Amino acid sequence: MKPPKDSLKTGTHQLSGSQACVEGAISAGCRFLGMYPIEPAIEISNYFLERAKTLDAVYVQMEDEISALAAVLGASWTGRRSMTVTSGPGLSLMMEHMGLGVMLETPCVIVDVQRVGPGHGIPTAPAQGDIFQSRWGSHGDYEIIGLAPSTVQEIFDFMIKAFNFSEHYRVPVVVLTDGYLVNLKSDVTIPRAEDIKLEPRRYYDGPQEKYLPFKRDEDLIPRLVDIGAGYKFHVTGLTHDERGYPIMNEECQEFNVHPLVRKIRNYAEKIVRFQELATEDAEIIVIAYGSSFSAAKQAQQKAREQGIKTGLLKLDTIWPFAENRVRELSRKAKAFVAVEMNYGQLVYEIQRCSQGNANTIFVTHGEKGVENSDDILNAIIQASRENSKKEGIIEYAPK
Amino acid sequence: MSTFIETLANGIKESGINPQKISITSDIPFRPEDIKYLGVDYFHTNRGRAVAFGTGLKLTNPSLKVIPIIGDLITLGGNHLVHAGRRNMELTVICINSFIYREIAHKSAPETTTKFSAYSTFEEPFNIPHLANSCGAVYTARWTALHTDELAKSITEALQKNGLSVIEVLAPGLNYYQGIDKIESSLLNFYYENSEIKEGIEPRETEIRNDQKIIIGRFTTLERPTYLDTYNAQLTRVLGDKFIPYSGAVAEPKKEGE
Repeated sequence: MKPPKDSLKTGTHQLSGSQACVEGAISAGCRFLGMYPIEPAIEISNYFLERAKTLDAVYVQMEDEISALAAVLGASWTGRRSMTVTSGPGLSLMMEHMGLGVMLETPCVIVDVQRVGPGHGIPTAPAQGDIFQSRWGSHGDYEIIGLAPSTVQEIFDFMIKAFNFSEHYRVPVVVLTDGYLVNLKSDVTIPRAEDIKLEPRRYYDGPQEKYLPFKRDEDLIPRLVDIGAGYKFHVTGLTHDERGYPIMNEECQEFNVHPLVRKIRNYAEKIVRFQELATEDAEIIVIAYGSSFSAAKQAQQKAREQGIKTGLLKLDTIWPFAENRVRELSRKAKAFVAVEMNYGQLVYEIQRCSQGNANTIFVTHGEKGVENSDDILNAIIQASRENSKKEGIIEYAPK
Repeated sequence: MSTFIETLANGIKESGINPQKISITSDIPFRPEDIKYLGVDYFHTNRGRAVAFGTGLKLTNPSLKVIPIIGDLITLGGNHLVHAGRRNMELTVICINSFIYREIAHKSAPETTTKFSAYSTFEEPFNIPHLANSCGAVYTARWTALHTDELAKSITEALQKNGLSVIEVLAPGLNYYQGIDKIESSLLNFYYENSEIKEGIEPRETEIRNDQKIIIGRFTTLERPTYLDTYNAQLTRVLGDKFIPYSGAVAEPKKEGE
């Protein structure tokens, strides 16, 4: 499936991260934005409105983030690609409907422009503090998909990926950007319509009377229909059977909820995306994602210049975590240097996968560290001098 | 079949709207058999969020009629109702005021009067029609579950309004015929003896109090531009020809080969 040509701004333009995010969404066919304004995500909603004016798209500023995501879920059921944008405090409120979105298997995209927390934090200061919240924030067992772009071009590309994932796996997808990245300006190439591949919504095509809203295909994904077309379907956030009827017993819980987890875990290898740089012979491998990537890359190159065999693993998908690749690399490498703009979140996943094989050194950085690679370089040097295997995470302490 | 569902079905039938084009969003679970009987699409959402979920449905497919049925009594989600009124979303909200929660027995709800809560409560109840009217609803009414014909007529009228309609229904739990217990039968009796129809009365005078009869009836009906009316009007005013008014035709990108 291809996007309609007249909606695309094909060509190379200088765009901010916020604009690239909207262009990506529009290219992916998104035509509904439900949101509540919050810094630093406001620019995205403003630009969406600007782009929506000729596209028969609609936006609504809801009364809070709870209702913003609720409206997005409702909108998605009418067949419209829908998204919301928010920041950490808003994402906290959205957790209720993240759970409902997973339970109702509703495709939608949540753009989280991360800022420092907890509480209000600093509204304009970037961070990577919602890594675990995006994955574990709602109650019960579930899996989602989380993407972390690290350049403005990637914001555009990953928005299309996010909509494709959410339509294919029928799951909310979180795009984790941050306050630094959405304000960054850079050249973005928007492809021609025929070069963009969109995942079509997975519609049911059998006889109407035989439609079961939660009957799963072989790949564990149920099929959708249009509402208002006489399917009389029944959808509930309670544990439900194939018909969507609430059934309160353990068997139904297993029937209903286990596939929600398996439909992502079984296909994790197909979903997971990462980029590698000079990892073939690397003793030290820097792992970074999002805004941390550019400083991590600088440090990796400087370390190579100093003769330290250093590689770089950049994670494009945060969730599901690139578990197998990190485990493989940990068998060859001496140490991982995990770089994050927080006090340690994804490093726990890295350490879990490298445990017993490679050491894990954690480097934290703030807004200034996005452009300054000194700490990462020093951590690489420290890691290369360490010859014994250490248990747990080694926190790098700047001198 | 609960009386309420039957009344709702009658109201929908009289309105002449194809039930296919009706979506019910609800924060209380209905029995699937009842929903099947209605012939509508049904979404059981998170508690208190039926109005917000319905907003998304209505905005992206304006040809649908959306009926949020809220049972959590304007505690969770009160803000959604208030703001749906402000922006005049085209929703037909039915608020079931059961005096006590049926599912969570003996817990008093904000609307509970002192006389009929198992533990009794000292809190003042909401006057739902007055609240809705103040927030901008274009249609407000209150009926008890015993007033089936009047309630059905109100539902018909509300479905034909453009904008937010709010109908409060005093009902002792949705499936009350399946398990009448002491509180419920006393409530039914209470409705019978203590309600008084006063149509067109000022909503502020319809407070439910211990020392007077429950005032029921259709209270207000008015016309106001809806959310999409104001959205299109404002953007047309600011942007002129650069804006193509939003029609709500489903904007799924064309499929391959077409």
